[in-house]
Amino acid sequence: MTETAQQETVEEIDLTAANQVLDKYQDMHGALMPVLQEIQDHYGYIPEETVHLTAERLNVYASQIYGVLTFYAQFHLEPRGKYIVRVCMGTACHVKGAGRIGETLQDRLGIGHAETTDDIKFTAEYVACIGACGMAPVIMVNDATYGSMTVQKMDEVIEKYKAMD
Amino acid sequence: MVNLTIDGKEVKVSKTATIYEAAKEAGVHIPVLCYAKKLLPYGACRVCLVEVEQMKGRLIPSCTTPVTEGMVVTTMTDEIRKVRKTVLEFLLVNHVVECPVCDKGGECDLQDLSYEYEVVSNRFEGEKFDLPTDEINPLIERNMNRCVLCGKCVRVCDEVVGYGSYSFINRGFETKIATAFDRGLNCEFCGQCVSMCPVGAILPRPFKFKARPWQLKEVNSVCGYCGNGCTVTLGTKDNEVQTIRFNDKTGVNDGNLCIRGRFGYSYVNSDKRLTSPLIRKDGDLVEASWEEALRRITDEFRAAGSASGFISGARLTNEEFFLLKNLAKAVGTGNLDHSGGECYKGLTEGLQETLGIKASTATFPQGEKADAILAIRTDFYETHPVFGMVVNQAVRRNEAQLTVIGDKQGKLTRMPHARTLLHKPGLEVNVINAICHVLLDDGLVKTEGLEGLDTFKKALADYSPDAVAAATGVDADAIKQTAKELATAENAAILLAYGLPYTANSKALGLAAANLSLLIGAAGRSGSGLYLCGEKSNSQGAIDLQVLPSEGALGVAEMLSSAAEGKLNALYVVGEDMLVSYPGKTLVEKALDKTGFVVVQDLFLSETARKADVVLPAASFAEKNGTFTNAERRIQRLHAAITSPGEAKTDFAIFQALLSGFGESAPATETEAFTKLAAETAGYEMVSLDMIGDQGYVWGSDILAPETRNLVAVEGGTQLDARFQLVTGSALYHSGTTSLHAKGPMAVVSEPYIEFGREDAAELKVVEGDTVKLKAAGGEIVAKAKVDRRLPKGVLFAPYHFATLGLNRIYSGQTAIAVDVSK
Ligand code: SF4
Ligand code: SF4
Ligand code: SF4
Ligand code: FES
Ligand code: FES
Repeated sequence: MTETAQQETVEEIDLTAANQVLDKYQDMHGALMPVLQEIQDHYGYIPEETVHLTAERLNVYASQIYGVLTFYAQFHLEPRGKYIVRVCMGTACHVKGAGRIGETLQDRLGIGHAETTDDIKFTAEYVACIGACGMAPVIMVNDATYGSMTVQKMDEVIEKYKAMD
Repeated sequence: MVNLTIDGKEVKVSKTATIYEAAKEAGVHIPVLCYAKKLLPYGACRVCLVEVEQMKGRLIPSCTTPVTEGMVVTTMTDEIRKVRKTVLEFLLVNHVVECPVCDKGGECDLQDLSYEYEVVSNRFEGEKFDLPTDEINPLIERNMNRCVLCGKCVRVCDEVVGYGSYSFINRGFETKIATAFDRGLNCEFCGQCVSMCPVGAILPRPFKFKARPWQLKEVNSVCGYCGNGCTVTLGTKDNEVQTIRFNDKTGVNDGNLCIRGRFGYSYVNSDKRLTSPLIRKDGDLVEASWEEALRRITDEFRAAGSASGFISGARLTNEEFFLLKNLAKAVGTGNLDHSGGECYKGLTEGLQETLGIKASTATFPQGEKADAILAIRTDFYETHPVFGMVVNQAVRRNEAQLTVIGDKQGKLTRMPHARTLLHKPGLEVNVINAICHVLLDDGLVKTEGLEGLDTFKKALADYSPDAVAAATGVDADAIKQTAKELATAENAAILLAYGLPYTANSKALGLAAANLSLLIGAAGRSGSGLYLCGEKSNSQGAIDLQVLPSEGALGVAEMLSSAAEGKLNALYVVGEDMLVSYPGKTLVEKALDKTGFVVVQDLFLSETARKADVVLPAASFAEKNGTFTNAERRIQRLHAAITSPGEAKTDFAIFQALLSGFGESAPATETEAFTKLAAETAGYEMVSLDMIGDQGYVWGSDILAPETRNLVAVEGGTQLDARFQLVTGSALYHSGTTSLHAKGPMAVVSEPYIEFGREDAAELKVVEGDTVKLKAAGGEIVAKAKVDRRLPKGVLFAPYHFATLGLNRIYSGQTAIAVDVSK
C-alpha cells in the first residue's frame, strides 16, 4: 500500500522527457546528478513525479533523491518563473540600497526570495555578490545584468519583462 | 589476530575489529551514539573518541578505526572527557530537552551521557529546533526536535530493511532526517528505526505514556506469528504486554522484527478474547463451566471414536502438538492434520522423496554469506520478512546476486541488481526445470552420486530455456545466466515458502527446488542451503512431531470431504479459523454443518468457532511455556509473560485435562512433555531443554545433510487462459488471521483489497480506492482497489487473511483464478 499512498500529490506531468533522460543514463553508475540536472533543464524544476520515476528506474530510494535535491541549491522543487530576477544582496549592493530593490519587487510582483508569481512568469532570488560591485546595486534577469538600480529603474525593468511573454 | 593494549589491558582480537569492538570484548566501556553493531561503521558523533599512542596529536574515533598490532589505546583522559563533554554540549544546543515526558527517558543515550559527563550548563547557545512532529501514522512517532543526527535510522532502513524511508535533507542548521518530500512516515512499519534511535526522536506510538522503561518486566519469548521465529522480548506491566523491547542478544533475528512481531502483539490484550468455555444450547453458544465443556467433549469423542478428526493450526507449541497427538490416539483415530490444502507437501513429500529429509538444510545466519540467492516467489519477503532482511544484507553488503522466480514484482525484485524471472502465474516449476536443463546440458555441475539422473534428464528434454521462455514469458538468457551463477557460486541459497495461500503445486515445487539444490550441491553444503519455510510460528514443529494423518487415516482434505458427506461424527479444530483461512470455503462450511459435534479451541470467537458446539478459550503465545521450532529447525523456548484472561487456558492444559478424561496419563509440565516428545521425535532424540540456550538449538546441526540424493522428474504447470488471473498470498502486514485482531497491523492494512498493476488499472480505468468486483466460477469477491507497481499485465492479487473478503469462495487451492473484473 505504501508506495502509491506516498505519491499523494502527483501533478499531471508529461514524463516523456524524463524517460528519455533516464533511457540515456539507465545503465550508468552514479548517474543521479546528471539525470536530475537534465530533468531540471527540461522542466525548469524537478516535478515530484519525476523523482518517483527516477527512483524506480535507477533503483535508488526517493528519499535519497530528495536528500540530494534539498542539499544542492541548484535544484528546484517548485515550478520556476520564466524570468528569474536575481537581486544581489552582497555587501556592496547592500550598502547601496539593495534592500529597497528587493522591497520594490515584493511590492510590485508580490514575491520575496525563492518565490514565484502565480502565473509562473517571475521568480525572485536574493543572491550573494555576483561580481559586478562597480555597478551596485545590481540585479540580473535571466542572463541580462542591470546595474545602478533605483526604484524607478526597477519599475522599468519589471514593466519591460511583463510586456514580453 | 592482533595484539593491542587498551587502558593497560592486553587484548587479542580479530584483525578486522575496530578499537571500539576490541574494547568491548575486553570489558572496557567506551560511550557511543552513532555506532550500532548491526550497521556499517559511520563515525559521525565523535562521542567515542580515544587516544592512541601511535597516532598522537589528535583523538581517534574508536568505532571506525581498525586495530593494528601493538596499538596502545587510552579510553579516558582529562582531554577525552572534555572533548566528549563538548560534543554533548553541542548536541544539546538545538535539542529540545523534554526528558520528563519523553518515552525514551530512562534509557536514552543522550540523557545517560549528559548525566555521566555532568553537562549541567551549556557554554553554547543557539536556537532550539521547532519542527512539527510526525504523528500521521498510528505506530511510529517522529519528533525531530530530539534528533541528534546520528543517522542510525537512515542506515538501518537502508542497510538492514532495504526500504529506504529516510534521508538527511537540507544543509547546516536546517539539516534533518526526513522522508521523501518530508511527508509523514508511510512504510513497512517494521520499527527497526525505532529500535535503533538512541534518543526519543523515533518512538512506538502504541507505547506512548504506558510505562517508564524501568517499570516494565521483560520476558524473552518467541514471536507467535511466522516461521521466522524471531525472539520477542515482551515488556509487561499490569498483566498486559505494553510493548516489545529491543533485544539483539537473544535469538536468530539480531533484534530485527517485522510489523507483526513489533506492533502485532496487542491481540493478546484484546477485550474480544474468549474468557469462558461456550456450549451450544438451544441453538446459541452460552457460557459454561470447564467441567461441563470437557465432559461433553469426552463423551462425544468417545462415542465417535475413529469417526472423529483433529485439525490443528500451526501455532501450537511442540509440547501441545505432542499432547494433541496423544489425545487423537486416546480417542482412537488417526485422522489428524495441521494445515489446509496440505500445503506442506513440498516438505513431507517433495523433500522427502529427493533429499530424504523434511526440513530446511541450513540456518538463517548462513543466508547472509550466500553469494547467489534464488528466491522462488517474491512473496518470500512477505511471509518471512526478517529472513528477507538477511537477504537484503547479503545483497547490499556482500553483493550477492539475487534472482527471483515470481509471477509479480515486489520488495525482493527491487533489491540492487536483482534479476527477476517474471513468469505467468503457476509456472514456477517450468522455470526451475529450465535452470536444471541448462545446468545439465551445459555440463555446469557434477552429477556423481545423484540417483535418477537419466530419467530426470529425459524428462527435462521439454524444458530447454527457449521452450520455457516461450511458455512462461521469462527471458531465456536470464535463465541461462541464473543457472551459471548458481553453479559457480561458492555459497548458494534457494528460498521457498509454503503456507495456506500457497497450496497449489506444493509438492511439485518442493521437488523442483530440491532437484535444483541437488544439482548445484546447495543442500548439505556448508554456507549454502535449501530453505523451505513454513508460514506459521511452529509449522516446522508440526512436521517434526508429525501432526499428520497416520497410515491409512485421513488428512485435512479428506477429513473435510468425509465430514461434508456426514461421515465424521466429531471434529476438533484448534487454533485455526478454517472458514476464513482454508482454501475452499464451501467445503469447510459443509463439513462443519454435517459433523455431529464440533469443538473449536481458539483465542477469539472466530467464524469457525461460531459454528461449533463447544468453544474452548485458549491462551496466546505470551501466556505459554514451551517450544517452537522455526523454519530453520531452531527449537526455541517460549516463556509465559502474562496470565490468560478469565478462564482461558493454554492448549497444553486443555489437552492435559482431556487426556485424563480419557483415562490417559499426561505429562504434568511442559518440561516433562518436552523430554517425552524429544525421545520419540526424529532429530530431537538428543535434545534436552537445557541445551536450548539464548540462540535456541538447531536440531540436525547447522547443516542438515540430505539422506538421499534422488532426482525426481517433475512436470511444470500449464498456463491459465484468461485475460485476468487472480493470485493470492500473504500481505506483509498480516500473518494468517490472528493479526486481524492486532491493532498495529490493522492500523496499516485494515481491510481487504484487490491489487492491480498500473497497466491494467489504466486500461480498466480503475483508480486506488475504487470498489471493484471479481467474478469467478463459484462466486465473486468485492473489495477496494489498490494500484501498485508489482503486478504485470493480466495478473491481480488479493491477500488471503480477511474474512470479509470471502476469497476462499473462489479460491480452492489453485495457482491462479480466472476472473472477470467489473466496477
Ligand atoms: S519502520 Fe522500518 S521501514 Fe519504516 S522507516 Fe523505520 S526502519 Fe524503515
Ligand atoms: S532520528 Fe534518531 S536514529 Fe535517526 S538520526 Fe535522529 S537520533 Fe539518530
Ligand atoms: S512475524 Fe515472523 S518475521 Fe515478523 S517478527 Fe514474527 S517471527 Fe519475525
Ligand atoms: S555585492 Fe552586489 S555585485 Fe558584488
Ligand atoms: S560512535 Fe563513534 S563516532 Fe559516533
